[in-house]
Formats: sequence, C-alpha cells, structure tokens
Amino acid sequence: MGVRKAEQQNRAAVAALPGGQQQKKHKPEQRRKVQPLKHGQQVQRVRNTPPAQPVEKKKKAKRFYDFNLLAAVLFITAFGLLMIYSSSQYTAALRYKGDSTYYFRRQLAIAGAGLVVAITASKFDYHLLEKKWIKYPVFWGSIALLIGVIIMGVASHGQARWIRIAGVQFQPTEMAKVGLIIMLASMIAQRGYYINKWKFAWPCIAVAFLPFILVGQANLSSGLIIAGITAVMLFVSCRMWWFFVAGASCAAAALLFTKPLIEKWVLANNITTSTSYQLRRVLAWAMPERFSTDAYQTLQGIYAIGSGGITGQGLGESIQKFGKLPEAQNDMIFSIICEELGLIGALLVIFLFIIIIWRLALIAINAPDLFGSMLCVGVLAHISLQVILNIAVVTNVIPNTGVTLPFVSYGGSAVIFTLGEIGIALSVSNQIRLE
Amino acid sequence: MQKKLVITVSAVALALFGLAGRIYLIQRDNSENYNKIVLSQRQSEYVSQTIPYKRGDIFDRNGNRLAYSEKVYNLIIDPKQMIAAEGDTSSGQAAVYDVVNTTVDAISEYFGADRGEVLAAVEGRPDSSYVRYLREISYDQRQGFLAYCDQKKQEYESSDDPNQQKKRIRGVWFEDEYRRKYPYGALACNVIGFASGDGASGNGGVEQYYNDSLIGTNGREYGYLDDEANLERVIKPAEDGSSLVLTIDSNLQNIVEKYLKEWKDGDIGSLSAACVMLNPKNGEVLAMASTNSFDLNNPRDTGDYTEEELYALGLKEAVGVYRRENPDSPSITEEQVPEHFERAEIISYGTQVAWNRLWRNICVSDTFEPGSTQKIFTVGGAMEEGLISAHTTFNCEGNIKLSDGVHTWQINCVNRNGHGLLDITGGITQSCNVVMMNIAFLEGNETFLKYQHIFGFGDYTGIDLPAEANTTDLVFNAENMGKTSLATNSFGQNYNCTMIQMAAAYASVVNGGYYYEPHVVKQILNSEGAVTEDKTPVLVRETISQSTCNFLKEALFETVETGTGKAAGVEGYHVGGKTGTAQKLPRAAKNYLVSFCGFAPVEDPQVVCYVIVDQPSLPGEAQAHSSFASQIFSKIMAETLPTLNLYPDGMDASEYRAPSAVLPDGGEGDAQTVMGSQAAGTDGTEAETNADGTPVSTEAQTDSAGNPIENATTAAPATDEFIQGDDTSGGELPDELPAGMVSQESSLADEAAAESLAAAQTEASETEETQ
Repeated sequence: MGVRKAEQQNRAAVAALPGGQQQKKHKPEQRRKVQPLKHGQQVQRVRNTPPAQPVEKKKKAKRFYDFNLLAAVLFITAFGLLMIYSSSQYTAALRYKGDSTYYFRRQLAIAGAGLVVAITASKFDYHLLEKKWIKYPVFWGSIALLIGVIIMGVASHGQARWIRIAGVQFQPTEMAKVGLIIMLASMIAQRGYYINKWKFAWPCIAVAFLPFILVGQANLSSGLIIAGITAVMLFVSCRMWWFFVAGASCAAAALLFTKPLIEKWVLANNITTSTSYQLRRVLAWAMPERFSTDAYQTLQGIYAIGSGGITGQGLGESIQKFGKLPEAQNDMIFSIICEELGLIGALLVIFLFIIIIWRLALIAINAPDLFGSMLCVGVLAHISLQVILNIAVVTNVIPNTGVTLPFVSYGGSAVIFTLGEIGIALSVSNQIRLE
Repeated sequence: MQKKLVITVSAVALALFGLAGRIYLIQRDNSENYNKIVLSQRQSEYVSQTIPYKRGDIFDRNGNRLAYSEKVYNLIIDPKQMIAAEGDTSSGQAAVYDVVNTTVDAISEYFGADRGEVLAAVEGRPDSSYVRYLREISYDQRQGFLAYCDQKKQEYESSDDPNQQKKRIRGVWFEDEYRRKYPYGALACNVIGFASGDGASGNGGVEQYYNDSLIGTNGREYGYLDDEANLERVIKPAEDGSSLVLTIDSNLQNIVEKYLKEWKDGDIGSLSAACVMLNPKNGEVLAMASTNSFDLNNPRDTGDYTEEELYALGLKEAVGVYRRENPDSPSITEEQVPEHFERAEIISYGTQVAWNRLWRNICVSDTFEPGSTQKIFTVGGAMEEGLISAHTTFNCEGNIKLSDGVHTWQINCVNRNGHGLLDITGGITQSCNVVMMNIAFLEGNETFLKYQHIFGFGDYTGIDLPAEANTTDLVFNAENMGKTSLATNSFGQNYNCTMIQMAAAYASVVNGGYYYEPHVVKQILNSEGAVTEDKTPVLVRETISQSTCNFLKEALFETVETGTGKAAGVEGYHVGGKTGTAQKLPRAAKNYLVSFCGFAPVEDPQVVCYVIVDQPSLPGEAQAHSSFASQIFSKIMAETLPTLNLYPDGMDASEYRAPSAVLPDGGEGDAQTVMGSQAAGTDGTEAETNADGTPVSTEAQTDSAGNPIENATTAAPATDEFIQGDDTSGGELPDELPAGMVSQESSLADEAAAESLAAAQTEASETEETQ
C-alpha cells in the first residue's frame, strides 16, 4: 500500500517539475496530513521528524529492523568462512609457505569489515543515496573505473579486472553493480507511474546499457548480471508483462534446446576443438566428456558434487580441494560444499539464500517509498542472479563463467559490496515504522 | 508491483529448487562412479616415489668385492610444481615468484647444460611432474647442486632487488638409482655374469643363477596431506638384496686367467682353453675361467670383432632365422641372405652371436669328448666290482679287433706296436687303450654305464651356474650301447661330458670316494652382512671305495712321475693327474682337444685342476699333444699351491717368494663358442659332418656319442638328424652294420690310428693317444 502511495506522490512531483528538491518540500506536509488518518499497519517515513516533539516521536516511532535478514546473512557469511578455510587450506599452504589459513584470514578480515560497513550503512537513512552528491559519484565513478580498467588492460595486453586504489585491489565491476542499483532505483522512483511509458523508461535502459557494455566486453557473466538486475527492477516497477515473460522463456528455451543441437553439430562435423574461447566454453558445456580439456574445471566440480552423495564426505573431508579443483575456494566453492556436506549441505545453503531473498522481498514490499523498494528489488535481483548462475555453472546447467557465490566465495570486492548492499536493504528496513 | 515481486521471488525459488534437483540427480546417478574417479585421481596426484633396492654385492671367498651397486642419482624436473609455484596467473595477475627461469638457470649453470634445452624440457611437458633430465649423477654432484641451491636461496633472500627476491628454485629433486660395478673388470666374468641396467636381472653366472637372492624389494615413499594440509611422507624403506660370497678365490682365479691368457696369446694358441679348479674336499669351485673373457662393466663390447666378421656371423645366423620364420619355404643359402635381410639386420644377428660366444661359460655349457682322463673311471669301476685287482695284467698288442661274426673293427692303441704286458697302473700311466678296452669288456655295458653315472656323466652336476649342458643324450644307455662303443667309451671317446662333470668326478676320486656337488656360492649374506645361508657341501653319493681311490691316486701320481703326464709335474710337489687327447668329430678333420686333470698334493689333495685346450692352432695331428694342457696345468699349480700355503718340499713360507699375481685386463673378448641354448659350435660341426658318414674312427657307426645339447638351434641343425639317421641306417649296434662298410671303416680306422701314432711318436713319453 505504501508503495502505491509513494507512486502517486512521485507522479505528482514529476509532473510538476523533474528533480528531487521539489519532492522533499512536499513530502513532509503530505506525511503530516497522512499521519492523522491512521492507516492501520501502514509504514511511514520518519525522515524530517520535527524536533518539536522529540520524546513523543521517538516513543511513537518504533522502527523496524530486519534482524532476520541480518541473522541469515551473518550465518551464511560465517558458513562461507568455514567453507573457505576447508576448501583453501591446501592451496594456501602450497602457495604461501604452509600458511594454510591465508585465504581464511583475509576473508575473515574482509567479511568483518563488510559487516561493519553493512551495519553502519543500515543505520543511515538510505535516502542519502538519492542525493546527487552520492548517487552520481558512485555510479559515474564506477563507470570511470571500468574504463580505467579497460585502458589498463589494453596497456598490459591482457584482460584486467582489477584495479588498485590506495594499495587495495578491487573489482570495479562490483562497484558498478551497486552504482547501477542506486541509479536505477532513483530513476524509477522519480518516474513513478511514468515508467510505463516508453518515453520515460528508455533512459533507465540507456543508463544500464553503459555498465553492461563496459563490464560485458570482458566478463560476459557480470554483464549478464547487470542486464538481469536491470530487467528485474524494470519488471517489478512497470506494468508490462509480455516482454519479460517472453525474454525469460527465450532464455529457458535456449538452455533446453541448444544443447542437443550443439551435440548433433559436433558429432556431424567431428569437431574436436575451436579457436574461439567462447565457443570452446559452449562446447565444453554441451559435451564435457568430449571436450574434457576445456571442461576440466566443470568436470572436476561435477565429480566433487557427485562424490558427495546425500550426506557428503564430512566437513573438511573433500578430496577434490587437494589441487584437483581449480578455484575451489572461489567460484567452485559450492561443489566443495556438496562434496563435504552432500545434498543436505547444498539444500541448507539454498534454503538460506531463499530466506535472504524472501526477507529482501518483504522489505521491498513494505519499504516506505518506491526508492527504498526498488533498492531492495535491485539487491534481491543481484543476489538471486549470482546464486542461480553460480550453482548453474557448478552443476553445468549453463556454460562455465566466472560467477561467485555471494557471501560464501572468496573475493574481497564482492564480499564488501554485497554486504554493503545488505546494509542498504537493512537501512530501508530500518526506515519502516511499526505502529 | 507486489504481485510481480512475488512472482520474481517465486521464480528465483523455483530456479534454485530446480538446481537442487539437478544436484540430486548428479549424485543419484553418478555418486559411485564419481567417487571412484575422485579417488583414483587422488592416488595419482600424490607423489609416490619408488625407492630402489640395492642389488646384493658379490664377494670372493676372501672378501674381495667382485661386484657391487653404486648409488647414483637422476635429476628429476617437476615442471608442474615449478609452474604452480609461480602463483596463480590465470586471472591476469603477475607471477608471485619467478620460479621457472630461476630453476632453469640453476640447472644449466651448475650442470653446464644448455639453457634452451632445459627450458624446453620444462615447457614441453608443463603438466608432468616427472621429467628425468640427467642420469647417473654422482653423490658429490648432487650434494654440490643442493649446496649451490642453498647459496642461491640466501642470495635471493638477502637481495634488495624485488626481482631477485621473487626468485625461487623449485621443482627439482634427485631420484636414487644404482649402477652395477665390477671392480675387477673381466675377472671371473663367466662365474659372475653381469646384471641388467636396472639391476633387476642377471645375465650369466651367479648374477643370473642367484638373481632372486641378489634382488631386493623396492621401497616406496608415499605422500599424503595431514589435517593441517602439510605434505607428510611415509617411507617404506627398500629391502636391499642379499650378497653372495663365492667359493672363488680371486687369487687363484687370477693365476688361472693369467696362464690361460698366456697360452692364448702365446705362439700356438687355440680355439679356446679353459680351466676349472675345485676343492676336492667339498666341491667348492676355486677358480673357473676360459679364454672367453669380457669386461663385465662393458659386456656388449664386441671390439674384438670387425664389422666384416660380424657380418659373416650374421649371414650364418640369418639362414637359421629365415628357416624359423618361413618354415614352409625352401631354405636359403648364405649367398641369398642379403636378398632377404638388410645389412644392419645381418650385423645385428652377428652381434648377438658374438655376444653369446663371448658370454658362454665353456666350463659348464660346452660338452666334448674327454679322452683318456676317463680311464681312471673305467679302472675304478672294474676294481670296485672286483673284476680286476692291482695285479691284473693285460697284454697290449697295439690294437684290438672286434668282430660280431660279420664285421670286424680294429681299434688301435697309442702305441701301435703294443705296450706289451701291462698291469693296471701301467695301463693308466701309459694310457693304454687296449688295457682299458679289455677292462671295459670285463665290466660289460651295464657295469660300465653304472659307473659312468656314479661318476656323474650324463647327469647334471647341479652346479649353481646357469646353462649347464644337458648330457643325458650324450652318453650311451644299456640298450643302444654296442661293443665298439663300450670299447671307445672306456678311453673317453664317443661320449660327451662337461668340464665341471670331469672335475667333480676327479674330485670324488682324490677325496676318497665322495662325490660333492660342485658349487660356486659359499654363503648368502643379508644386506647387513649377516650370514643367512651357508652353502654346506652337498654329498651327492659315494662313488668308489677308499682303497680303490688310493690305488688310483697312486697311479695318477705315477702318471705324472713316470708316465704320460710328466709335463704336468710341479717341482717340489707331489702331483697326480691324467692326460687326455681326444680326437674331435669329424674324425677326418684331425682336430684334437687336449686336456689334463690333476690334483696336488697327492698325500692330502687340496685342489683338483682340470685344463682343456680345444684345437690348438696347429695343423692336424700336431694338435694332439696333451702337453699343451699339462704345461698350463703345471704353471697354474706352481703358483696356486704356494698361494694355498702349500710350499715346495723343504721350504716354508718365509723362504718361498710368491710370483705376484697380475690382475687381468678387462675386455679380452675371444669367443669361440656360444652360450646356453645357442648353437654348440664344436658339437654341431662334429655331428653334422658325422652325419655325412665320414667318420674316421674304428667304431664308425657307434660314434654317436656326439649327441649335442638338445635345444641347440642355430649352428647345429643336423645334430638330431644325425642321430636319427644313424639309428635308422645302421641301427644302434655296430654288429648290425652292413658288411661292406666294415673294411671301409677298418681302413679308415687304420689311417686314423697311423696318424695318431705319428703324433704320439714325436712326444712319445708325454702323449697318450686314442685311436
């Protein structure tokens, strides 16, 4: 209900004059008007509470905070740390002079920092993100960094995904995802109902197109995630159905029907390999046993999953982590989870992600305004896509592409930014007023 | 919007459940299979390294090390580890360490290897963990390299240059291996044999016969990861092989080889010559040598053969190869060989023949007609049966005529004019064939053959050396032995024996009638040097009584003192022995094998020494001087006895000045005969020619003794055919010979005897003759 209300407000604001300044002036008045009406369980913004009645207001303004989400994220992060230690101890010992806790310690520090960031962020009002001096620098800054990475990559004759700022390496891709979520949420919120009109909707797509191209040219999977986030956010915010349903159907159909076609083609032409890197990945996906060199990682991951069985080999008992499975603590960590904890462990992880997604959806539904709502939808879309793609890669449902499992996989930037996104969602939840 | 959000969440949940289903399917369908794959991958992943065992040493009876295995090292490169140690560069990160280049530099710098080659070895097999780059590096080199690596490591660590700090030497290690060494080169080469490169098997000699004792069990080094992911190593140590202590005395072996070499390199020389020396009291072989000598460290060196010689050998071999490979097509001649074989192929066959000749142990693998050394067994048997006594006399008229009423054979004595009246001692000392034949006739087939077997002829001696010749078919049995055969057998013709048989039989006579199994290994020691097996003398049987033995010993002593064996005498010692001059087949070729089998001192025999000289390099009957062998025997004994602390009469150790034994040079490969189951050159030739029906000897049809080694292959194709042909054409009994052949045989026999006699006359006192 609150979302509807916000939409109406925004529609009025946009009609009057594009820009945030106008809205802010109107909203407090509206809120005061609304408040006496006493909507039942209606959630409200508490921003700009008049200082005149601080005591009364604070008592009254019992604000929500989604501890369920926080707990689920904490749990899965801790679980991820455990699995990182288990899966990386061998590789770490091998690479870092017997320091088997190398990856674990780094991840522990980063996850700790990420949680501090998340909880701190959750205590700030998420509307700060709507401010020009925050959203533009974050979004355009990430675009600039992406360009910078490409230039660096060109300079070093290779694909670079990392950039070093003040001695800290991080992937601008992750930042771009957050920047895009904020930017899109803000734009959709501004447009409100007008998002249904193509005239108003296309700038959103245009804005998403920029990072999609910049990221996708080097890292197709991240590009797909950016496109997916955009699609989900637009799907949720607009009224159109057919376009998204058709798109999803096409993707599903492609997954289902291309595999047999490729198999036929390979056998008919007796293909043994290809010069194209992307084609080799597709071939390895379609027929991993035939293209076992290219499908090495995939096959080893599947062996790990298969050898786990229902209950797994036991925590710490993975065999594949001993140098056989590349990126065991990273992209392929889910297969180690399957190997050590079996189907039960895999279901536990999937269940935790469903809880997180469910909580994010609840926050989105109950968010005080459309902006908060869309922020949560963006985070939800991001996490969902990462989880689905990662597990799909590990189980060879889709061709191998480097997607990390949120909160679990090793990787500094991703952990910081994903936890940051959770912080934003928590911040939205914290603006929900309970009555 | 709410609706769409719910749909989104539902879709996500659905997708996740779908993926969970996929996981379930993977596990349900492939759990077992993938488990196996994972486990087998793990097995191969861990570096599991074989620790080689050390092949046992071989010592002579005095503790001299004749063979040992020296540890060497192979440099192994592990490119996989090297590349992995550079750090993960897959996502475009710079290498954490500079490993490959640094390590390649270190190897090329220290071992002087070509840098490009080393690098190619690393980059050529980036997924391999095992590239054997250098072989047989010594311990010093290995230690040097390790020290060099440590020094480099310190340099890198203390360097200020970040590029230097990144350098690491990784992925290089040393694998143990053993290399077989024979410090005395060719010494006792036939007895020792040589081990294969990996030390797992032996060729010839005790290396082959005792291979199971000499080899050990490989150890293994397993790697696994403990809970802390540290690589742990479990070492199952190798069990080293047992060592052998031979009965061979390398001093005596030296002496024997020295004089055989002297003979070989001397003015006359011969096809071959060989000597076996036994301790008569227990059958221990003290020395065993032949002119077939090769360097054990380099056994495949055919340096003594020119390429043309090898080619010529190869031609002969190729004929046989062709026949085996194309059993249905007609045989080819040597001239046709080049049409069917490449030159390199022919030379390769020739090389194999040459090797087999080089490696053949004449003393146990070759058979021959012994000649008159047999005579003491003829006497011994008859005396044991009470058929004769020391005082029995026979009248030698120069020959014996045998007749079955249809045919007549005349078998001559050494002295065609006859020795006159001879007692038994005289028969031995004068080596009188007529006396022996008469004794044999008294014995009859059964008794004669009984004693032939009691003395071990026709049986394996059981010596612990490989490829002992099978003489079962080279002696007669009661059924096929005719009277002429009995007659000629009595003085050592028309049956074959090996040197070790003869020496062992003599040993039993001189030790008082105890036939010990001859053996060359005294003890087996475990790797710590403790005795695990004592090869105690094996008494096979008692041959003849003490009193008969004493009589024979006395007669043998007389033979050297006054009879045909004078040349074998050693000044200052009482030596006994018997000469032998055997005419080889084909008789017409007038080739002889001369021999001497003796012992000393007569009062308490310490050593039996049997010397043969096969076909001295002289024309015809000039070969027939047993003194060639007797003189070698004499020289050997003159040095051997002092070495055994037996000094000439009236001297003691302080007075005696021992001639210094000279270690023989390695690599004197002079091969006449072929080893093991390969062609028996001499026998084969004999038999083949004999098959042509041109025997010269008196007992033409029954000189079938030369039945060669059963599995003779290459050069003796006619052997079996000969025997069969003989059987079918003439039957086994000479009496059944067609009448027309008798005179022919007789005349041939006369000729042969005349020629023998001529030879005998030149060295009348020293030479004894058969036919």
